[in-house]
Amino acid sequence: MRFGFSEDQKLFQATLAELLTDECHHEALAAAWETDAGWVPGLWEKLAAMGVTGMSVPEEHGGIGLDDTDLVLLLEEAGRAACPEPLAETVAIATPLLAEVGGAHADTWLPKIAGGEARAAIGLERERFVADAAAADLLILQRGDALHAVPASSVKTAARDSVDGARRLYAVEWTPSADTLLADGDTGHALGNRVANRAALAAAAQLVGLGSELIRLTVEYAKGRVQFGQPIGAFQAVKHHIANAYTQLELARPTVYWASNSVAKNTDSIDLDVSTAKALASDAAHACFRAALQCHGAIAYTYEYQAHMWMKRVLVLREAYGSSAWHRRRAARSLIDG
Amino acid sequence: MKIMVCLKQVPHQDARLDIDSAGTWIQESNIKFEINTYDTYALEEALRAKDEGECEVVVVSIGPDRTTQALRTALGMGADRAVHIKDEEADGSDALGLAKLLAAVAKEESPDTIFTGFMSDDDNFAAVPPMLAELVGLPHTTAAVKVVRGDSSLTVDRETEGGSYEVVELPLPCLVSVQTGINQVRYASLKGIMAAKKKPLDVKSVADLGLSGSVGAGAAKVKIEKIAPPPKGDTAELLEGSTDEVVAGLVTKIKELGLL
Repeated sequence: MRFGFSEDQKLFQATLAELLTDECHHEALAAAWETDAGWVPGLWEKLAAMGVTGMSVPEEHGGIGLDDTDLVLLLEEAGRAACPEPLAETVAIATPLLAEVGGAHADTWLPKIAGGEARAAIGLERERFVADAAAADLLILQRGDALHAVPASSVKTAARDSVDGARRLYAVEWTPSADTLLADGDTGHALGNRVANRAALAAAAQLVGLGSELIRLTVEYAKGRVQFGQPIGAFQAVKHHIANAYTQLELARPTVYWASNSVAKNTDSIDLDVSTAKALASDAAHACFRAALQCHGAIAYTYEYQAHMWMKRVLVLREAYGSSAWHRRRAARSLIDG
Repeated sequence: MKIMVCLKQVPHQDARLDIDSAGTWIQESNIKFEINTYDTYALEEALRAKDEGECEVVVVSIGPDRTTQALRTALGMGADRAVHIKDEEADGSDALGLAKLLAAVAKEESPDTIFTGFMSDDDNFAAVPPMLAELVGLPHTTAAVKVVRGDSSLTVDRETEGGSYEVVELPLPCLVSVQTGINQVRYASLKGIMAAKKKPLDVKSVADLGLSGSVGAGAAKVKIEKIAPPPKGDTAELLEGSTDEVVAGLVTKIKELGLL
C-alpha cells in the first residue's frame, strides 16, 4: 500500500505556510502574547478567507468537507509557525464532532466556523483546564460519557497560569443541560474517544511542526555563531545534539501521518496508531526543544529571542491531550488487549 | 475581455543557492520554487480586473514539469486557464527566445491586455516584457505602479528614476509590466486549489508554436558565461556618537548613496 500526500494536499500546506510566514511571524507572535486572547489580530479572518476554518465543515454547511488526512499537514504547518489561534480545536476536533452528531448544534455552529465567525475550545474530562476558554465562542465539554456543545455565554471562566503566553488556560464552570447535550451513553463514550484521538493527533501534528522549526532555527544559529574560529555547528558536541533530535523527529513524522489515516477511516488500530504518534511526536519535539536550548546557549531562554515561544508551545502540547507516558500505556494496552 | 499573464517560476527566496558544476547556473535539484514575485503582482492586477467584470484570465509559463505547480497555484488564485510551454528545446533560451515563445501564445490567444512582472527575481533582465510587446506589435509600458482601466485604454502610472512618476495612456490591446507593491496579492484559497484541478491546463511544445530551431540554447544570442556569488565586503563603517549623531550620520550616508 502506498501512503503519500496528493499534489493538492501539498499545495494546501504550501499555501497555508505562505500565509503564516507573512502574518504569523515571530514579531506578530510576540505581540499576540500581549493581547487579551493571545491571538494574532486579524489572522483568524485571513484563515477563514483562505478556507482553512471551513476545511472539515461539510459542504452543505458552507465548508469543503475534507478529512483528517487533508488536515494533518496544515496542523503541522500551524505548529511550525507556533500559530496561537485555536485552529486544531476548532477545525480538527470540534468540527468533525459536530458534523458527525449533526442536528441543531451542527446547523448553528458549522456555518459560523466555516465563515470564521466562531472559534472552539475543547475541555476533555481528564484535562484540568481548557485552553482559550474565555475567548472561544463555543466550548465542547465532556462530563462522564456525555459530550456537550456549550456557548461561551453559558460558562464561567477563571484564568490559570500557563507557561505559553499565547495559549491561555482557564478553569471552566458550567452546568450540563439537555440544550447543550451532543451525545451520551455508549454513543457519547465512543464519540468522546474519537474526540480524544483527534485532539491527540492534532497536538502530535503541531509538535512535529514545532520540532521542525526548532531544528531549523538551531541549525541556522549553529552555522552563524562563530566560536574558536569556526561555526559552532562544526563541533561534534553541537551538531550531534541537532542530528539526534532531527532523526527522532523524522521517525515520529510518518507515525503522525499514518495516525491521520487511521482517524479518518476510524480503523481498528486507531487507539494504537494515535497513541504511538502522540508519544513519539511529544518525545521528538522535546528532543528538538532540548537541542535548541543546549545549542543556542543562554540566548535561547531570553524573552527577546523567538525560540522561547516555540519551546513553550512544545512544553504545553507535549502534556496536552495525554502525555507521552499516558499514550505509551495506552499503546501497550492496545497491543496486549488487541 | 481577455487578459494574459506571463508567469515565471523561480527559486524560492529562502532556497539555498549553490552554483552548478558548469558554473553557469545554480543547482536546481532539491530546492523549492515559487512564482516570481513581480509576476504575482501582475496576476493580482489581472484578477482584480476579473473581479470587476466579465473577464478571462489566461496564465502562461515556460519551464519543466515543476512549473505546473506555479500554474496550478495561479489557477487556485482565480485564473481561468493555463498554458504551459514545456519542451527541452526551450531550455537555455535567452530573453529573446522566451519572448518569442510567449509571443506565439499571445498571437493565438489575442488578449486585450498582457500583464507581466517588471523583471524576474533570478535573471533581473527586465527584457522579456518589451521584447514580447514588440514581437506581438502591442503598445507597452513598464514599471507600472497604478493601472486604471478604461473602456478602450489603460491609464498607467509608471515609476521613473528618482521616485517620480510618469502617467501614460495605452490603447487596448497593450502590454504592461508591473512593479512590486502595485497591489496586495491575494492568497490562493483551498476551494480555489480544489477547483483548479478542473480548469484547463494546455501543454505546448516548441514545435506546436512553430518555433523549432529559433529558441533554446542553440539560438540564444546571450549566453551566461559564468555566475558567482558576490564578493564579501571587507569594510564596514561603524557610526559612533550619541543616538542623535548616529541617526544624523546614517541619514547623510543614505542620501549620499542615493537611496532616498
